[in-house]
Formats: sequence, structure tokens, C-alpha cells
Amino acid sequence: MNCAECRDNLAALAEALLDCNESLQCRAHLETCADCRAEYEAITRLQQRLTARGEAAAAVRIVEPVMRRIHREEYKPERENIMSRLLKYRWGFGLGAAACAAVILSVILLTTPRAEARAVEALAKGAQAAAKLNSIHLRCQLRTVPFDNFAAIMPDQGFVNIELWKQFTPELKWRVEKPGRVALMDGKSTLLFDRHANFAMRLDQPSASAFDTEWLHKMADLSQTLNDELQAIQAHGWPVTVTTESQGGRAKTVVTVEAKSNLPEDDYLKNKFFETTDTRRVYVFDEESELLESVNVTMHGSAGDVSVLEINQIDYNTLIDASVFSIELPADVSWMQKQQSTPGDEKYSNMTAEQSARTFFEACGRGDWNEAGKFTMFPLTDPIKQYLDGLELVSLGTPFGSAVNQDQFVPYNIKFKNGDVKKFNLALRKDEQTGRWLVDGGL
Amino acid sequence: MELTDREYVERSRDGHPEDFGRLVDRYQKPLFSYLAARVGNLPQAEEAAQESFVRAFLSLKKLRKPESFYSWLLGIAGRVAKEQFRLELHQRRDCEVAQTMTTDNDDAKDYPLEEAIAVLPENHRQVIVLRYYEGLSCQEVATRLDMPIGTVTKTLSRAYALLRQELKARERVEQTVNQIQKP
Repeated sequence: MNCAECRDNLAALAEALLDCNESLQCRAHLETCADCRAEYEAITRLQQRLTARGEAAAAVRIVEPVMRRIHREEYKPERENIMSRLLKYRWGFGLGAAACAAVILSVILLTTPRAEARAVEALAKGAQAAAKLNSIHLRCQLRTVPFDNFAAIMPDQGFVNIELWKQFTPELKWRVEKPGRVALMDGKSTLLFDRHANFAMRLDQPSASAFDTEWLHKMADLSQTLNDELQAIQAHGWPVTVTTESQGGRAKTVVTVEAKSNLPEDDYLKNKFFETTDTRRVYVFDEESELLESVNVTMHGSAGDVSVLEINQIDYNTLIDASVFSIELPADVSWMQKQQSTPGDEKYSNMTAEQSARTFFEACGRGDWNEAGKFTMFPLTDPIKQYLDGLELVSLGTPFGSAVNQDQFVPYNIKFKNGDVKKFNLALRKDEQTGRWLVDGGL
Repeated sequence: MELTDREYVERSRDGHPEDFGRLVDRYQKPLFSYLAARVGNLPQAEEAAQESFVRAFLSLKKLRKPESFYSWLLGIAGRVAKEQFRLELHQRRDCEVAQTMTTDNDDAKDYPLEEAIAVLPENHRQVIVLRYYEGLSCQEVATRLDMPIGTVTKTLSRAYALLRQELKARERVEQTVNQIQKP
């Protein structure tokens, strides 16, 4: 083998793709040729660099959050005025956000009636007061169910306690907890534990927020949240009012914002999550400290107004015990794995959302958990199997979508083993890895 | 079937925003890797990567060469990283930031590698991204791109040569700049 032939084969050699004979010839040439050997070493060094970079990013999955943000942006009305230009490239980090709020404040004070300007001033002061936090602890009550995902709002349910602990310095760590579910980030990895179904999932990297807790993190990032409210008030013309009250002998500034989601009334996800809900948000600030003390969010739903979220305790800069950012899991916990591509996957990836829903329900009906598991993001643990085992699929309807995300919703009518009937919509999400439609909710 | 960057950009501009998701899927890992090296903090890198993609989508009409999408995206990401750094400095106002924004890990500082990948011809870039950032084997890359495995290894071989050439050129520029800046 000469130098030209050897160099043509170096990449294949480094990938171990040469047959035995070619590999021996190539290696024999490398033994005798210093130039080709140097070339081979340069290629393997570059491969090592590339491998290290790829491995560091292996767990990153941001398609879904990016597309969610893009869908939200698409629903924002375009306003080419000085304010929309100011806001277009916003970034909100602590004092940066507060500084931005101050800029907006100065513009709004000149252009809006006095009452509105007072409200905006209170929000801006709150943003500034919260800009240098070391930690925050929120105690809230949310109308939802204890074991469902962290973001779902269910106005017909009772209040469930939900808490967030967030440490900003020296290292970002957080924990969100409600009775049936915990999510935490310990600075190195991010973990979800579902107490009800006894399954857990770990992301091998820290994250700013995860597992549908984004809305609560936004609430905790007060300077950013209040800054966002300022921007939305101006950009969308949301009505805002301010009153002064005395509570426990202390003066409080109460700012009320009427927020619109801009989603069409007939969208299926309207009023299912904070970002898709028309709400009245009431912020109560202490006049002396200028810090936010409580928040109440009321949903304007089709059945009338319902209070859905109450943040009734906010602790600033308290020392959070290190044990908060760890959790002991049961020995028999099932670990949630990402679905992997397997031979014969085309059969599933070529299915429509409706076909996937049908195959899933029918597999549950006959207790074929291997087949049913092809369509779930979560492990089919014993409590889930007990719930679904022996069900009868009565009918499926025509799938439909939402402007909020790319999920498909398949109406279903199923009859459980005990005779109970359930009519609802199965949410299915196209999995990036396998191309399959996977159950994302609605069970 | 995999479309080119140009095709996905054009489809996104023509009212199919879901096709932008394919570009996010294609470049999320190299972009994250680039930003992790720039900002030295993984949660912030993820946040910045999301922000970069959203800004890219909102400015997509301004992209004059759709085939250069990734290179243009890195430009946006570089500005986002700078904004983050500046705002962090304002927020903390002490040397703590300087400590968290830099790292002793040599791999993490290797962001010129992603910049060099950005200037590769698209077919070479695609093979590098699938092989290293998606972790596919050469055989899997061949299946994904519907090309013989020999073409994959030849494309890799050419991509390595171009990358080394580009990295060397960047090192020379850096050395020259350092010499000029010496007192």
C-alpha cells in the first residue's frame, strides 16, 4: 500500500471499517511511514475532540420547548412601536431585568393614566427588590390533581399544595413538590419521581427547569416575571389597576392584571395550562420592603371565574437545607427510559395517531404490556397496569390538534374491567428518537 | 427523508413552522455544545440555545443564504452568549461571575470546533453532526442519509481534512492577534 492509498483509508481505519486484509496493509504502511502515521494521529486526535463535544451534549433535547416558545411568539400580536422594538430582544437576568423594567417604567409613566402608572411602578419596584436573591421558597395551592403533571390546571378539582425551593447562589439547585410528584435538580442532574405510579426519570445534567415546572420557576424568578408582566401590559394592552390596602397594620400595594392568552376559545388546550388561560392576576406588595408577598390567579373559564392558584407564602433569602435537594427513592422504583429505536420500528412509526391510540388501547385490553409499552413515555408500572388491564375500546373519534403544540388528541370511549366508562382525549406526541406517537397525557 | 437546511428554511418561511423543528433537532446538540463552551454553565447554555433558536425563527426572513443557516445561527448564539455574560456581570458585580463563566476543562473551551463545523459544506457537516453529536455509527449515518457506507467514510475523511485546515487557520489568526496585543 502506498501513501495515497493509505491516506484514503485512514478515516475507515479509525472507524474500524476496513476488512482484515486492508487493515493489516494499512497498519503495516503506518509502521514504516512517519508522515502517514502523523496524519493518522491527527485524525484520531480530531475524532477524540469531536467525540468529547458530542458526549457533552448527548442529553440535550430542546426541540419541544423551542417549538412551544415559537408557537407562543406566533400568537403575540405584532406592534411596531417603540415598545415592541424595546422588547423584541429581551433577556431577563436579575438586575438586567430590573434595569429593563426601569426603562419601560420611565416610558409608561409618560404615556399612561396615573392609576396604571402606579401599578406599573409597583411591579417595577417589586422586580428591582427581587433582583438579587440568593434563594426563594414559594408555598402555593393549585387546583389540579396530586399525581398529574406539574403544569395542568383543573378548575373542577380541589386545591393541592405545591412548593418550590430554589437556591440561586452559590450554585443553582431547586425542588418542586406536590403530594404525588417531586422534581428536583441538585446541581448535577435533574430527577422526577411520581409517587403514585412509582416511577422516576433522571436527566444526567442540571437544568434551569424541567418536567413541566417551567411556569412555577417563572413565578420564582420574580424580577423576570414582573418584568414580563410589564411588557405584556404594554404590548397587549392588558388592563391593570392598583389599590392600597392595610393588612395587619402594614400598607400593601395590590396590583391586578387582566391577562389574555390570545388562544382561540375553541382550542382544546385553552384553559388547561397557565400560558393558555385567560386570568386575573392579583399581586400584593409590601409598601415598605417593596417585596411581593402573595399572588392570586383567577381563571376566566367557560363556567365562570375560578380561583386556581394562590401563592400565600414567599420566603426570601432563607437558608435552604441541603437535604431539600436530594431524595431517597423506593428500592422498587421503575426508571423511565427514553424509547429506543428497535428493529421493526417502521411498523409503529408509520402508524397515524389514531392507529397508535387503537393499538395502545387494544394491547392494554389484552394485557400485552410489551406492545402497549411501545406507545408510552413512562414505564407501565403495576398501578398503571391495574388501572388499564382488561379495558375494552368502545370507539375512537377523529384526531385533532392545538395551536399550542404539535400533539395530536384522539377522542376515545373506553370501558374498564369494573364497568366504568371513560370518554376523553388521548394526547399523543411524535417521539423524535423513534418516530412513534407516544402517549403524552389524557389517560 | 432528510431535507437540506435550505429546504427546511424555505418551508419554515412558507408557513410551515413545524419544519423549523427539524432544524432545531438537527443543530440542538452542536449549538448547545458551542454555548456550553462560551458561557461555561450548562443550564444557562440550554437557556441560551433555546433563545438563539427562537430569535433565529423570528428573524428567518432576514437570512439571505438559507444554506448557511447553521453558521448564521452560531452568530446569533454568540450575541446571546455575550448578552448573558454582560447581564450576569451586572447582576453579580463581583468576580464570582468570572469564576463561573470560565472553566479549566479544555474540552469545554473548544468552541472554535463548532465554528469550524459551521463552515463545512452541508453534506460534510451533516455527516459530522450525525456521527459525533447524534452518536450514530457510520452504518447508521449511511442508512439515515441513504448513501453507501463508503461514501460516508470518504465524506468523513474529507470533513476531517477541511476541519483541520480551518482550525489551523483559526489558530494562526489567534496567534497573530495575541502577538499584536502584546505590550
